[in-house]
Amino acid sequence: MSIRILPDEVASQIAAGEVVERPVSVVKELVENSIDAGARSIQISVIEAGRRTIEVADNGEGIAPSELTLAVARHATSKLREVADLHRIHSLGFRGEALASIGSVSRMTITSRSRDHNEGSQLVVEGGHIGNLRPVSAAQGTVIQVENLFFNVPARLKFLKSDTTEKKNIDAFVTRYAIAYPYLRFGFEQDGRMGLKTSGSGDQREILGLLYDASLARQMLEIDADYDGMRVRGYVSPTSETRGNRSAITFFVNGRWIRDNALNAALIQAYHGMLMVGRYPIVFLFIDLSPDQVDINVHPTKSEVRFQDPGALFSAVQRAVKRGLLAFTPVPQLSGPPRWTRPTGEWESGSAPNALQANSMAMDIEQGGSQPAATHRDPYAASLDTPMMSSFPLLRLIGQIGNAFLVAEGPDGLYLIDQHAAHERVLYERMMNERQDGIASQVLLEPAVIQLSPEEARMLDEQLPTLKSLGFEVEAFGPYLFRVRAVPAAVVGADPAQALRVVIGDFEEDETPLTSELEARLIARICKRAAVKAGQALRVEEQKALLQGLEGCRAPRTCPHGRPTMIHISLDLLERQFGRKGAI
Amino acid sequence: MKVSVLQETLAHGLSLVSRAVSPRSTLPVLANVLVATDEGRLRLSATNLEMGITCWIGAKIEEEGSTTVPARTFGDLVNTLAGGQVQMELAARTQTLNVRSATSNTDIKGIDAQEFPPMPVPDLEGGIHLNVADLKEMIHQVAFAASSDDARPVLTGILVTVEGDRITMASADGFRLSVRSAQLSEPAPQPIRVIIPARAMNELARIATDGDETVTMALPPGRGQVVFRLKEAELTSQLIEGNYPDYEQIIPPNFSTRTVIATADFLKACKQAEIFAREGTHIARLNIGGNGELESGQVEISAQSEETGSNETVVDANVEGDSLVIAFNVRYLREVLDVVHTPNVALETTAAASPGVIRPLGDDSFLHVIMPMHLGN
Repeated sequence: MSIRILPDEVASQIAAGEVVERPVSVVKELVENSIDAGARSIQISVIEAGRRTIEVADNGEGIAPSELTLAVARHATSKLREVADLHRIHSLGFRGEALASIGSVSRMTITSRSRDHNEGSQLVVEGGHIGNLRPVSAAQGTVIQVENLFFNVPARLKFLKSDTTEKKNIDAFVTRYAIAYPYLRFGFEQDGRMGLKTSGSGDQREILGLLYDASLARQMLEIDADYDGMRVRGYVSPTSETRGNRSAITFFVNGRWIRDNALNAALIQAYHGMLMVGRYPIVFLFIDLSPDQVDINVHPTKSEVRFQDPGALFSAVQRAVKRGLLAFTPVPQLSGPPRWTRPTGEWESGSAPNALQANSMAMDIEQGGSQPAATHRDPYAASLDTPMMSSFPLLRLIGQIGNAFLVAEGPDGLYLIDQHAAHERVLYERMMNERQDGIASQVLLEPAVIQLSPEEARMLDEQLPTLKSLGFEVEAFGPYLFRVRAVPAAVVGADPAQALRVVIGDFEEDETPLTSELEARLIARICKRAAVKAGQALRVEEQKALLQGLEGCRAPRTCPHGRPTMIHISLDLLERQFGRKGAI
Repeated sequence: MKVSVLQETLAHGLSLVSRAVSPRSTLPVLANVLVATDEGRLRLSATNLEMGITCWIGAKIEEEGSTTVPARTFGDLVNTLAGGQVQMELAARTQTLNVRSATSNTDIKGIDAQEFPPMPVPDLEGGIHLNVADLKEMIHQVAFAASSDDARPVLTGILVTVEGDRITMASADGFRLSVRSAQLSEPAPQPIRVIIPARAMNELARIATDGDETVTMALPPGRGQVVFRLKEAELTSQLIEGNYPDYEQIIPPNFSTRTVIATADFLKACKQAEIFAREGTHIARLNIGGNGELESGQVEISAQSEETGSNETVVDANVEGDSLVIAFNVRYLREVLDVVHTPNVALETTAAASPGVIRPLGDDSFLHVIMPMHLGN
């Protein structure tokens, strides 16, 4: 086979693959173009999760008729002239690929009128074929309509996720940019339904209030700090407001939404010791640094960047956030802010420090024992060693220690039982059994109204029937507003809105879990809330009942979230530790 | 300070104020009780900063003065002293209170009274006068329905409203609502609407003995407090700030079924059902009239648990309207029936998902709303 230069169409389709991965990429490229064009108002309309139509209209500079054809050519841009410019980029785009890429995988109609012209012009690009320019009447600015996305790339079309997921991604993108650019008026419609609408007043808190509820927006702590030309500003949640996953942590670097595990870790480190394990803050941070400090030309979609001096930046983020938190949160002890040390491999792979701690604890207990080394890495290994059903030993209760653990004697040594995990398991199995004849739910005297972010609202919308079967009666009450009419009887006593939020946090973690699996996960969540906590003193009868309940469980060794309910210390190990055995 | 006081009076006084002591406070003086001479009587005070209780007891005062002593220690001591006179003398320099009675001689180390939070004498002008027996019953019928969860602080309180000569107390915990009103002997000068912690109200009911014929309730302006003045004692509580939900909206204006049952029978059936009601959920089913084998004038209360078993009780009733099956948290039912004093009680219901209303028959001053439960699927 001879080597040939690829035809233009093929080349641009390949390039498009990098830039335009899914509908949200199109929205991103178009919105960024609008921002670069100096628009004051950006109207976004998406139909059928972007498969059918994505339309972005702005009132920016516009494109002159003579340049319109050039604009859709590859590597054509107004934002960059020479290589050196790459290191001092102030605009969001610069690669000159977006319009060409989008045009090659869709039917794209550009209508634009530049400020200096009285007449607008329109150009249609279909699958990379550039049509004829024709004059039209248009308002100043640019309207780009993208239809039939990926019509000529069936492979890509096939790999799109469900509409729900794609819509969620678009929601997440638009809302984040609305906060980052408070002076722009954003209007956002999905399938003809008006979603987000901002006033462009410049008040970020007001927009935060549209996304989360107003009271949370009021509580968000504002931070603004400057370290050696690095400006870190934004909003962080007080330690009382948390989420169950990292999805509410957002970073903007020089006006661009980026994802960076190391930055995440630096931020969470700032909250260290103030949040419960597994809880994450709600954060919007805007980091401004000089363009030569950051390389954004790493990835075509620019969602990843490289920093010149990551250590200094992470330290700045940590200091700024910590200072903001300490100023508003009563924290008994204050130690000097640690200088961030260069991240090692663990951070980059996204594993949390807790996992390391947990492992080292496991080692403490098992050192000198004859357990296989695999236990150190896999928390499940212990329970997999032995078959689950038959393995529960007959236990004699000795007592409770630290108001958190039960101590019991078994036939082969000492057992320590985590009262919370154990109770969770007992409640979980009971509720799973009850599910067969329906979960009891308690109607509320006064329905609780909660406001959700668009992403959360969409997820909740989809899951209403599942929630109902679990005892949550929730109904839509307005845009992103929901009314909780009844809660499962098992969570009576907890704040209904809070209980629902916990459940929604679960939806976010998984994209489309099976219904049955989701139910199990929700039940696990509910049980977690209802179970006795560490720190609760239990009467002897209660302790006995808990052990008995655990004996009756089908999988007594772990809590529904996979943590062990009990640790076994064998007599053999005790004997070794006391130097009675094996000290040869 | 040098005083002599009867052991019984002192023990009684200390038991009254002890409930306001906060033993685990970071402020050590709050674990103490203030002992001070006050216009020919001995004053005992304790406070946890949210609620304060003061009582005055008769004493023979030889020398004026004041100090604070650990409430627990002092109370335990006084309870074991022999009856008769107790002499107390303060060594001001060391703040040590010497307590002598019969053959016993004790020194208790105290903290200077200066450190005790000031408890200003309130202005009772413009206060309203309540009958103690009425007040105690009102609290009894309302306080149990208040929430114990701090997530919504207003619900941990009792809403007290006074308009003209009518006083109303209401409390709710998100699943039930209790409302009781009463007549005042004389109209209040101006309307009142405050939220008082249910805990303070329970304490008030405890310290108000029937011997006190009236209690004066006053709201000293600008302090965010309420003061209840009894003959020999006084209770001060911080008010809960916030907006109380508009509870009148929650009370269903009409009903389709009205069931009149003998209170005692209904209560007994609920108590039995509660034993078997599913653990943690307390769900019990009420089958009201006409369904299946039941006769129209009967109500069946049933509960079941996978672990313990099941229970059904049939109670005769006078059912007007459609038959209905509705489920409630049986603990809520039992708690409200416990405070109904009329021989018969009416349960008003509309549908399985609509609230139920309990009213004592022949007594319009009390009503209780319970939200139903239902089984999913």
